[in-house]
Amino acid sequence: MMLLRLITWPYVRKHLLRTLLTTAGIVLGVAVFVGMHTANQSVLHAFNRTVYQIAGATQLQVTAGEAGFPEEILEKVQAHPGVAVAVPVIEAAVQTGIEGQGNLLILGVDMTGDRSLRDYDLENAGDTIIEDPLVFLAQPDSLIVSEQFSRRTGLALNRKLTMRTMQGPRQFTIRGVMKSAGMASAFGGNLAIMDVYAAQLVFGRGRKFDRIDLTVRAGASVDGVRRGLQRALGEGLQVDPPGSRGKQFEAMLQIYSMSGNVTSIFALFIGLFLIYNTFSIAVTQRRSEIGILRALGATRGQIKRLFLLESGITGLLGSLAGLALGVIIARGMAAYIGGLIGNVYGVAQRAEEVAADPRLLASALGLGLLTSLIAGWLPARNAAQVDPVRALQKGRVQVISAGENRARRLTAAVMLALAVVCVFYGHQQAVFYTGYLLSILAVLLMTPALGNWLTQALRPALKRIRPVEGALAADSLLQAPRRTSGAVAALALSIALVIGLGGIARSSFESITTWAETALNPDFFITGSESITQRSFCFSDTLGPEIAAVPGVEEVQAVRTVRIIHQGTPVMLVATDVERLARRVRLKVIEGRRQEMYAGAARGEGVVISDNFALIHRVHLGDVLRVPSPGGMLSLRVLGVVQDYSDTQGTILLDRRLFLRHWRDDTINAFRVYLRPGAARDAVRQDLLNRFGGQMRFYVLTNQELKDYIRKLTEQWFGLTYVQIAVAVLVAILGIVNALTVSISDRRRELGVLRAVGGLRNQIRHTIWIEALTIGVLGLTIGFALGAVHLYYILEVAKRDLSGTRLDYRYPFQIAATLLPVVLGAALISAIGPAESAVRGSLVEALEYE
Amino acid sequence: MIQLSHVVKEFDGKRKVRALDGVSLRIAKGEMVSLVGPSGSGKSTLLNLIGTLDKPTSGEISIDGATLSGLADDDLTRVRRDKIGFIFQFFNLLPSLSCMENVSMPLHLRGWSRRQTRERARELLDLVGLGQRLDHLPDELSGGERQRVAIARALSVYPPIILADEPTGNLDTATGADILDLVRDLHQRLNATILMVTHDRAIAESCHRTITLRDGRIVGDLSRNAAS
Amino acid sequence: MNRLAFTLLCALPALAQDARQIVDEAQKRSRAGSQRYEGTLEVIDARRKVSTKRWVYERLGAAGESKAVLRFTAPAEVKGVALLIHNHPDRASDQWMWTPAVARERRIALQDRRTRFFGTDFTFEDLEERDVDRASYKLLGEENHLGALCWKIQSTPRVDARSQYSRTLLWIRKDNYVLLQVEGYGAGKNEDKLIRRIRYSDIEKIQNIWTARMLEVHDLERDSRTVMKLEKLQYNLPLSPENFTLQALRRER
Repeated sequence: MMLLRLITWPYVRKHLLRTLLTTAGIVLGVAVFVGMHTANQSVLHAFNRTVYQIAGATQLQVTAGEAGFPEEILEKVQAHPGVAVAVPVIEAAVQTGIEGQGNLLILGVDMTGDRSLRDYDLENAGDTIIEDPLVFLAQPDSLIVSEQFSRRTGLALNRKLTMRTMQGPRQFTIRGVMKSAGMASAFGGNLAIMDVYAAQLVFGRGRKFDRIDLTVRAGASVDGVRRGLQRALGEGLQVDPPGSRGKQFEAMLQIYSMSGNVTSIFALFIGLFLIYNTFSIAVTQRRSEIGILRALGATRGQIKRLFLLESGITGLLGSLAGLALGVIIARGMAAYIGGLIGNVYGVAQRAEEVAADPRLLASALGLGLLTSLIAGWLPARNAAQVDPVRALQKGRVQVISAGENRARRLTAAVMLALAVVCVFYGHQQAVFYTGYLLSILAVLLMTPALGNWLTQALRPALKRIRPVEGALAADSLLQAPRRTSGAVAALALSIALVIGLGGIARSSFESITTWAETALNPDFFITGSESITQRSFCFSDTLGPEIAAVPGVEEVQAVRTVRIIHQGTPVMLVATDVERLARRVRLKVIEGRRQEMYAGAARGEGVVISDNFALIHRVHLGDVLRVPSPGGMLSLRVLGVVQDYSDTQGTILLDRRLFLRHWRDDTINAFRVYLRPGAARDAVRQDLLNRFGGQMRFYVLTNQELKDYIRKLTEQWFGLTYVQIAVAVLVAILGIVNALTVSISDRRRELGVLRAVGGLRNQIRHTIWIEALTIGVLGLTIGFALGAVHLYYILEVAKRDLSGTRLDYRYPFQIAATLLPVVLGAALISAIGPAESAVRGSLVEALEYE
Repeated sequence: MIQLSHVVKEFDGKRKVRALDGVSLRIAKGEMVSLVGPSGSGKSTLLNLIGTLDKPTSGEISIDGATLSGLADDDLTRVRRDKIGFIFQFFNLLPSLSCMENVSMPLHLRGWSRRQTRERARELLDLVGLGQRLDHLPDELSGGERQRVAIARALSVYPPIILADEPTGNLDTATGADILDLVRDLHQRLNATILMVTHDRAIAESCHRTITLRDGRIVGDLSRNAAS
Repeated sequence: MNRLAFTLLCALPALAQDARQIVDEAQKRSRAGSQRYEGTLEVIDARRKVSTKRWVYERLGAAGESKAVLRFTAPAEVKGVALLIHNHPDRASDQWMWTPAVARERRIALQDRRTRFFGTDFTFEDLEERDVDRASYKLLGEENHLGALCWKIQSTPRVDARSQYSRTLLWIRKDNYVLLQVEGYGAGKNEDKLIRRIRYSDIEKIQNIWTARMLEVHDLERDSRTVMKLEKLQYNLPLSPENFTLQALRRER
């Protein structure tokens, strides 16, 4: 510790900026890791909390995914001997239409029995009571809201609130205000209670419930009742404790935490190189200091520990800063992810509180620390090997041995060969990821050699542009391969990361656009919700023929989409007239034959699944899916696999008649409307709105509007990707700044000599600029190449372990082209500071500098 | 050739140090002058000022009749590169460049063509007796050889003035003598003005003129006739 | 309210001295084949805010196997809301509620017995048809209550009866077996605390059955009162069983 204070601190103080830059990679890596996971956890936590707050005393819930089930199930559940109280629930999130209030979570319950499950906190005192329970039940416009919501919106007792329902715009009356503790604080307080039967009408749910909440009889075991009830109801319905909803939700968030992990790992990798770079140079610079310490009796071990301690402390400080930054960015990310999940999946939650999990923070800290220790290990070893006699001799420098270079190149070659082998045997997950890691490590190990080779190739060109400065810059880079390669590797990694992220974004955009062109070809989409992904409101199926009767309409396809639970994860079930759909839409077939699969599905012989479903659940043509329905478990044969990006969790397409039979659900989410050729689109749309708009919630989206919406959603989905790209570019720039700052201070004497023997200021300046640009070019070249490899792997990861979407390989040339001026510009800008300090400093001092 | 009048140099630190305290001096063309004095007497400072590596706090320095005060940094650099060659105690060679490249450096900076540069560098290295070691790195040379390379670099454009800061200080006696012989030889052959800082009384006495500094003032200025 | 009226408002003369026999006799004397009345209910909460409701009540069948319909007539917000109750001798009753605005009947799930009955001061337990044998009785003595000589009987629910009360005190008139007052004491930590008192008054003999025309429930915890008046009360009138079905509930609005 004494050594640290006497030896390290003065050095750090002298190179404060450099020390700060050095930690940048660690800071950002840890920050992204913490931010992403905290945001995910917060969203999940908020979701879970809402679930639990709404659940009240509920011990078990009966559900059929999102599909709901007929009312009769309630009597079966109530009749079960282990059940004490069982009550029906409809849950829906609706737009309030009140500015700044966003969604309101409406819980439809049966007040006659519900209060033995949930504490509405209504009766205790004064004004915050439900006026009259009988009135509440008798009037379907009754609404109980939370005190918070009431205060925020000024909707007090007996005030009216107009909402658009499936029966047209309807006025609701606030008949009760819940105190803001407990349940009323669920969903950020944006909670309203309605009679369950009124909710059926408002949301167009027919005679169905979303859920049954129940408590078990005193003395009965919850698990025992769960099993008994599951047996009594059949496998088609799920009987689970309320907490299990969180697990399904978690699956949806998983994609985001994975992509956050990739970025964090890259940022940490980059941080590793930055630290390695700085410490290597520090060891060179402090050679004489080390020599003196050794001469004074310090052992090799002590020197090594000193440097390891230094890198450890650097990592610790960087990680701590990263933790703080991560927690700060988590808030924004949580809001973003929350909104996104709401839009994409129609799942309502509100992440109001962002709390970091101590375990997460600890592991992030450990990760940052470990990275910096690994980065510091080699320099520390080198420091320990400093020969005290040679170090104290001025004018002598220890040069890296050629053997190390050879060993490194050999290792790289072996790794590359192994990586290639791994590609061929990549169907196994472990092998695949090993290959991924090996290929990146191989490129990184080859960076010094590649850098040298490229610089040599560039030298003539540089010399032609600027005979003196060009050659000097190239030579300076060639002279210090280790210094250069650290910076180049860090830069290349950042660029590869950007290419990977940009590439997957581009591939997704293109694939989704292509798919949207074929799959989404109706002229109009008619929905009951503001967006196509929200499924709170449903139409009655009798509306279909009415729409079809409107002049100008040629065909109407009724679609019912519901999320169900398949093997523990939520998947999308799409029920429609398959035969008619197949006539209009020609999706790319992955497995099976088009004619047969649709004909079979139309006859109800099986289902057609999306390729991502096939990949995630590892099913193929001919396999039999076990699909839960309220009527029981269905065995459905897979008749075909098609490319379909409707849902990130995968879709199952089945004929609507089959769905009606087993789900007994005749509601509709959306109508796909095709117009007669030559029909006036705008006129028909207006006609439709005139006819139906006043009677119910009725939104007509044109083909273009839907595609725009899908595009917006896709952009939103990749919104955080762009943040990650920005982080990567930032790290890249910091890497260049770091490399140059370090390089210039390392070369003060050299530059002094240059000036002493007659170098003009501009010559020195230009040399440094060219050097920076060359580092940029090297980083870009290697980064573009590494990016190509990285993109291949990241697409594979997306296919195998994330959404299962098969994306075509599209190199993001546009992003690469954008990176070129950005990185070179950044390199040039970051060279200005060091260049000026090099020409402005005292020549005499520079010459004496050691 | 070199003229200093009332040159003062102060260094700002925690304590203001007056390294040179009103030095006035004239050195004629072709003179070979040694500069002696105890550590901290201001020898190196004086050399750095004449070599335009540093600027005086007050006073005038002129080289070849041209006054240095008021010149911009780049103009100073031009004076330096056209008129002055530097030989350092620690050679200050760039470790990763070969002898040839190190010597070529000043010529590069002047924008000479590659052919011209190569010819001159070869010529210079021949001159200092290293014609056979063109492609060696400094680390592969002995101390004396390295100093020869440094001298070759200082001579690049045959400057009229050569400044040497203890050129033998880092060498053993025999090698030092060799280097001194070389310097003397160059002095005769090139008729350069040479100003050399040294601790070695024998070396000092072998010069035409010896200037002694103490506490930033000239306390002795002794000329000898035909010391060679 | 049906069961309340049915169970507690009627009395028949008897000479039993045993506490259980007194309670049994009181129930027997109130027995009738059918019943109809128009009720008025006033809830007076702690702030002395009064809300009023009216309904028509019809019952067919005697204790244990009766069917009843209660249909609200006022105020306007609740008009048309109806309850259908099928009582069973051996198990809990089935209850349905009809809400005309959503045109739906709903089955009222087995309640937590402490739940208040639609904003009144009655709990569901207070309204149950009680089997005499679900409690044990002890004659505490005789007491003059509001000018009438009464038996004071303590009723302790059996363990399996899961009552909100640890015990109740009953005052039954000695001359005509009419129940005049019930006091319920809390369970658990409120064991000695009086939580609810029901008083019966305006006692008249209608069609040979002594009947209280007014009753008042006082919730002492919330300091809220509910006053119920029975008008146009008739016993043993001819009612069609078809009126006591779910179909009838939906039909009549």
